[in-house]
Amino acid sequence: MSDFTSTTDTRFDSRLFRIVPHLILFALILVIWEAAVRLGFITSIIIPRPTAIMGAIAELYFVKGTIYHHFFITLTEAVVGFLIGASVAVSLAVCSALSDPFKRYVSPYAIVLNVTPGIALTPIIIAWFGYGMGSKIALAAVLCFFPIFVNTLTGLLQRDEDREELFRSVGASNAQIFRKLRVPAALPLLFAGMKIGLTTALIGAVVAEFSQATEGVGVLMSRFSFQLDMASSLATLLSMTLIGLILFYSMEFLDDRIVFWRRETRRAAASRAKARAWNARMGQ
Amino acid sequence: MNASVQAQANGAAGKSVINAKGLSKTFGGGAVVALNDANFEIRPGSFVSLVGPSGCGKSTLLRLIAGLIDRTNGELAVHGRDVTGPRTDVGMMFQKATLLEWRTAVENVLLPTEMAGTVTKADRKNAADLLRMVGLKDFLFAFPSQLSGGMQQRVALARLLQTGADVLLLDEPFGALDEFTRERLNVELMRIVGEVKATTLFVTHNIAEAIFLADQVFVMTPRPGQIASIVDVPFERPRPLSIQTSPEFNTLVAQVRDILGEDH
Repeated sequence: MSDFTSTTDTRFDSRLFRIVPHLILFALILVIWEAAVRLGFITSIIIPRPTAIMGAIAELYFVKGTIYHHFFITLTEAVVGFLIGASVAVSLAVCSALSDPFKRYVSPYAIVLNVTPGIALTPIIIAWFGYGMGSKIALAAVLCFFPIFVNTLTGLLQRDEDREELFRSVGASNAQIFRKLRVPAALPLLFAGMKIGLTTALIGAVVAEFSQATEGVGVLMSRFSFQLDMASSLATLLSMTLIGLILFYSMEFLDDRIVFWRRETRRAAASRAKARAWNARMGQ
Repeated sequence: MNASVQAQANGAAGKSVINAKGLSKTFGGGAVVALNDANFEIRPGSFVSLVGPSGCGKSTLLRLIAGLIDRTNGELAVHGRDVTGPRTDVGMMFQKATLLEWRTAVENVLLPTEMAGTVTKADRKNAADLLRMVGLKDFLFAFPSQLSGGMQQRVALARLLQTGADVLLLDEPFGALDEFTRERLNVELMRIVGEVKATTLFVTHNIAEAIFLADQVFVMTPRPGQIASIVDVPFERPRPLSIQTSPEFNTLVAQVRDILGEDH
């Protein structure tokens, strides 16, 4: 018992100890930055003081609260665009994995779409879908398609001869091999693709907002920049970082739960859950 | 040579579980003869070891019986029925445990049942009992990555038994494990196949292991892969490990080594 407590403490201590240098470095950068602006080495119109940015954040989030509306608009565009792009990407990847001719016919289009700078589609997409959320969702969907498609397809095409021989030896059909072997084996790569795709979906939403829009963090940021209110502009930029973090860690959370077998701590939890479910079922 | 093999096989009393006549397998349109003219009968409940160097066709023979590959020539029947593909009365175990890392031990054991249809409560109980039988009663809900190599093979053995097959084909099942683990698992394997009364074919390239486990040893030689001789092992099963130091045992080892010739 005491052993257990002490190891936990040591681990906590070492983690704290590792974080301290990072905090010191970050504080140092802020202090030098603040001093450089205050002493006139840098014009505050170009780069505002950290304290000015903090003030802008307080204004946006707490005093006026203007950020929230735009924040949720952009978040919604990115998420809806991602859901559409990911559904199409996963469906096409599954069809390509199941049928060789299908893969041969689809791949060239996927590659052409990938090598064409997706952002360059912005004017066309706005012409098609208008100034509202539709065009932002569409660009988000287009930009997140490729990484998810490629990762899912690569995952599904991994073949493990030994395991397939085992499945065949117990009389499994091709459909069973696909569902029970190839799909679960592809999940780690699928989630890697989803994480990249979610980030590129956010890029799509924001770029489309920069181009033509009436609401969203991209609009807000352009507006502040035109007014040369750099502190508010950077504060808005940080809100995009926040959206990115929320999206990334939501996916990380799902990845951790669904592809639980890669991490020791998750395996242990899954193991306990399975034991409980088993006992409940067998106890009846 | 083949006539004497036939004679030995026919000498066995009672019905046979596996029959092969002139069984051959070639690859590449006849360019590579993996197995040439194999003739044998295997008695119910007997333990047969297939021993020989690589390329002697021992794994090919196992895969033919498992229905994983098609024969080129000859006859092959299990329980009197022609082998045309994988069957529920024949189960196979491989050198790699090939467990699914997203399934617990007991879920891995239940895989064959799942492939055959719905998993019932009785199936679950059976799977748990089999894991107990292979000595993993505390590891029902462990994931493969939490188990040692030896424990993973125990799960694979339980999964093989879960199929309910009474013909068990084992392709160097403990070949990747260390000497001590392998010896212990061999002793347990002998006990377990005795308990479930299965007919077992065991592929190995270790002569002592082949003799220790089996009632009959098929000694196989390469180029072309064939059964050179069938050696009967007279000891009662199960046997203690200490039998390996007896003079009779060593005579058998020498006899098999002799058949295999210079290259072994």
